[in-house]
Amino acid sequence: MSRPAEKRTVDMQIIAEWVEPGARVLDLGCGSGALLDYLVQTKKVSAVGVDLDFGRITASVRRGLSAYQGDMTTFMQAFPEKHFDRVICSRTVQELADPTAVITEALRVGRALTVGFVNHGFWKNRVNALLQGRKIRNAVYTTEWFESRPSNPLTIADFEHFCAAKGIRIARRAHLAGNWHTPSRTWPNLLAGYALYDLAR
Amino acid sequence: MTDDVEVAQAEPAAPRYLAPDDVGLVAPRDFVHREPFTFKSGQVIPGFTLRYETYGQLNTTRDNAILICHALSGDHHCAGWHSPADKKPGWWNNLIGPGKAVDTRRFFVVCANVLGGCQGSTGPSSINPETGRAYGTTFPFVTIRDMVRAQKLLLDHLGVVELHGVIGGSMGGMTAMLTAIEYPKFTRRVLAMATTGREGAQAIAFNEVGRQAIMQDPAWNRGDYPRDAGPRTGLAIARMMAHITYVSDASMERKFGRRKKETAATDAYTFETQFEVEGYLRHQGQSFINRFDANTYLYITRALDQFDLAHAYGSLEKAFAPVEGDTLIVGFTSDWLFPPEQNRALALALLRAGKRASYAELSTDLGHDSFLLESEELYSLVRAFLERGQHYDSNYSI
Repeated sequence: MSRPAEKRTVDMQIIAEWVEPGARVLDLGCGSGALLDYLVQTKKVSAVGVDLDFGRITASVRRGLSAYQGDMTTFMQAFPEKHFDRVICSRTVQELADPTAVITEALRVGRALTVGFVNHGFWKNRVNALLQGRKIRNAVYTTEWFESRPSNPLTIADFEHFCAAKGIRIARRAHLAGNWHTPSRTWPNLLAGYALYDLAR
Repeated sequence: MTDDVEVAQAEPAAPRYLAPDDVGLVAPRDFVHREPFTFKSGQVIPGFTLRYETYGQLNTTRDNAILICHALSGDHHCAGWHSPADKKPGWWNNLIGPGKAVDTRRFFVVCANVLGGCQGSTGPSSINPETGRAYGTTFPFVTIRDMVRAQKLLLDHLGVVELHGVIGGSMGGMTAMLTAIEYPKFTRRVLAMATTGREGAQAIAFNEVGRQAIMQDPAWNRGDYPRDAGPRTGLAIARMMAHITYVSDASMERKFGRRKKETAATDAYTFETQFEVEGYLRHQGQSFINRFDANTYLYITRALDQFDLAHAYGSLEKAFAPVEGDTLIVGFTSDWLFPPEQNRALALALLRAGKRASYAELSTDLGHDSFLLESEELYSLVRAFLERGQHYDSNYSI
């Protein structure tokens, strides 16, 4: 298994731990449906994914998932409050044009919201930026800036500040070390490579 | 290409109907239902005929059938060829065949001309056995639900115990959705494209112009006309106008632009056909009148206008409440007759009703008729939906 794939499965495991069996789950930016497929198989969830790309919707449909091609905020606006038990925003939040709108809407349609993101405050990322003076490129971020979607390289401190400012309750948090495997307890903004948050209103 | 090469004489090119992924030569059949059929309106006919075609074999468990539902002017001939001399195959030949997206090696494909139609099924141009004359406008008002019920009787007759899927575009999408609503246990998958839960004012308006073109033609004679005559001018105009709504500004611009016919004097001011697009539409109108009945056009456009899932069941969510199968709705960006928003609304209502439903949107500039598009992307989506869970084997052991 390649390194990014291995990293991906660990992050899926933690997300799955927070999902109630049989829950109604919405995945924002579902890609080809790998995470939802995993949740269906391990947690028997009833799953819906949203993505912008026709090919990814096809891949999700091939896995037997419900997938909706379109804008995630408009999608959520079509649902009543608490329609979903959990909304998941995994490795998507950094690419959102209006993160506040998406997270606010996700906390309206979902009883809980999982957000997972790469911590750009991780020391290696800082050193990298300092020494290279270039956009980060590694096993996770493989593309040049001009081949990538616009990205907000947020940090754990940024995200915690956002939750405090918006009055969003953090029910659980998981900070993982640079290997995305070992828990990272001290100085997470400096020592954690990946962060997962379980949010509620 | 400017090369002028001698054509090899040894092997003439194989006819297209012999292509390995073609269903080949096919023949329609008639299902004759000899018991009274009561329409939604309460009106009764003593029996009816549905003309249909099938491709592939029904399996021993009788659950590999795929029902194809045609659009307003379509028919039962959705794949293959009726004769080696045919210029064109069935209307969805690009999608249906051995190894194609709807694979006739695996599926038993059924397609019937709708009740109220004019391509062999009982409709206004059929003879009323009680009077010995064509029904004309005495034919009962037809609804999409009546079409669905008649089609179910055919499937029962064929011994189908469960549909692997039902597929349709435009009106066929309505028929497909209603099949899943009316027969939820029978319908495992629904694929509806370029469709709507109810027409908007614009679509109703276009249908009304078509109907008026027919009814204002003196030859319509309140629906009472001989089989080989009738309101041919009105029907042709209805078709010309409707055809514009099936394509798009961009696709017409690409196909015709402002090109003029070779015979047209460049700047002459005349009301003869000058632009290529005019000639094309006239051809569409003329070829339509040779195969379509004007009264059927009135009846089926009315059935389309009256189709309103939300109104009929209280809301879209209530309409979809009984659905048990998986649903896939496909919209097309350039479809301005049944636009993407109306297709999205269906998928969102299905999801709100807690159903397994997907929505995909294909970027095309071909308008409403995009669902007939030759598109590898569309084929792979259809295949993914029909064959999912059958080959896919994921391993998440960590």
